[in-house]
Amino acid sequence: MSVRPRYVVAEAWSIAKSSPRQTLAAVTLIALALYVPGLLALLARNLGRLAVSDAGDPAAVVITLQPQADGRALAARLAQDARIRTVRIVGSEAALQRFRRAYPDLGAILAELKEAPFPPSLEVMLQPGAPPAAATEIAGTARLWPGVESVEAAEEFSRRFRDAVSLVRNAGLFLGGILTLAAILSVASAVRLALDLHRDEVGIMRLMGATEGAIRAPFWLYATAEGLLGGGIALGLLYATYRFATYWLARDPHPVLSVLWVGFLSVPASLLLPAAGAAAGLAGSLLSLGNRHTRRVTRIG
Amino acid sequence: MIQLYGVSKKYGPFRDALFDVSFRIQPGEFVFLTGPSGAGKSTLLRLLFLEEPPTTGQILVNGRNTGVLPLSQVPYLRRTMGVVFQDFKLIARKTVFENISFVQNVLGLPRAEQKRRAYHVLKRVGLHHQMNAYPDELSGGEQQRVAIARAIVNEPTVLLADEPTGNLDPVLSEEIMRLFVEINIRGTTVLVATHDLELIRRMGKRALMLERGRLHDPDRSRPESAPIVREAPFLPLT
Repeated sequence: MSVRPRYVVAEAWSIAKSSPRQTLAAVTLIALALYVPGLLALLARNLGRLAVSDAGDPAAVVITLQPQADGRALAARLAQDARIRTVRIVGSEAALQRFRRAYPDLGAILAELKEAPFPPSLEVMLQPGAPPAAATEIAGTARLWPGVESVEAAEEFSRRFRDAVSLVRNAGLFLGGILTLAAILSVASAVRLALDLHRDEVGIMRLMGATEGAIRAPFWLYATAEGLLGGGIALGLLYATYRFATYWLARDPHPVLSVLWVGFLSVPASLLLPAAGAAAGLAGSLLSLGNRHTRRVTRIG
Repeated sequence: MIQLYGVSKKYGPFRDALFDVSFRIQPGEFVFLTGPSGAGKSTLLRLLFLEEPPTTGQILVNGRNTGVLPLSQVPYLRRTMGVVFQDFKLIARKTVFENISFVQNVLGLPRAEQKRRAYHVLKRVGLHHQMNAYPDELSGGEQQRVAIARAIVNEPTVLLADEPTGNLDPVLSEEIMRLFVEINIRGTTVLVATHDLELIRRMGKRALMLERGRLHDPDRSRPESAPIVREAPFLPLT
């Protein structure tokens, strides 16, 4: 026979009410545990947009051309170098389109521009086995050519930037892992405490013929709901932080942050927070409702 | 029906709580289990309602061998038994009705049916006007009657009671015993553990005596000192 859902919900609510402090502590810890990695994920998402090239491979050398320069001729000249795999010609309009795709939130500002603000450029991608100094050497050579405005060996900056974003992302995962583990243990403690408070009742329920499912289901639901609530609060806090930062940057613009800080987490990533909270809660309850808390009848031979 | 064959229970290597206990209780029988404190009465009841396994031996309850019963089936066998304790074991945060209809609630029995059954059993124990009271609002005797109502609400075939009158005065004890007799008359097998020999004398029912974990069943070998008085006057029913 199955357990009645209404009974499970009522009992879970009763458990939550019987130990409000523990419930609050567990919910708070889960919220904090998910807020911190969520914040790092938000940072990584916004910074990451700079690190990821729209066209795929990152350019090792970016050559900015003068408006009247012959981009094709310069590209052909570069292509003769065996260390170079690809030379991409990026016109002013293409650069503007790329920027619009990367920062759709700035579309309104860009639309007001009468002419393309980005000069034409050449992006040089190296062969996979090219020596580390190749980008600098190519940049030094190209800098002397007519029609070249400026040259940047972007490989090193790009790599460092990607590494920084990756570091933020990994730190988020690492901290998130540790804090989630702490949250799971906190929920486990809360459930164990609730179980201790209800130990007599559990014993009576068992003697009255309640199945293990009927006894445990309210505790599972209680812990899962705790996690879900904690995750929801973390999401709310994260969105509040994002809105506050947006407001703050709008009032006092920053040359870099104002450009980068343009988007919140995607809907699936946002929903991941309450889902992770619920999973942590369920894991905590499973941890605390192990077999050692269940008096078993062993078989005799 | 309850049958025990050579049942022993050890706690640790040296303490025998029960030793080679064998007896049979027929369906519909009313039997007392008596003996001094520490004789093993409560241990025997715990084995019967599968709270603990015996160390050796076989136990049959309602035709099911508890030793080979799958764990998943234990709750279902327990539902065929009612249990009454000395300390009532009522859930303080639940009302009388909720305490009684707990299992039906878990199983999703319609609330109206739960109420009907609870009212019916509470009427049998004379507490149908206390459906919405909490255990703390009731006297000891009333709490024990609620516990009995809870034990019989599923219409069990076996009713086990562990010192059910231990916390009650003699007048209330007799009231409770009358209830057990009424339940027994309706066909339920009743096994009551008590150290109150006077009560057993007055009831005039079969008694199994435990002493230091060993059984003195007067039906098999009656010691001279055994407090079995079949000729005692039967308590009048009310």
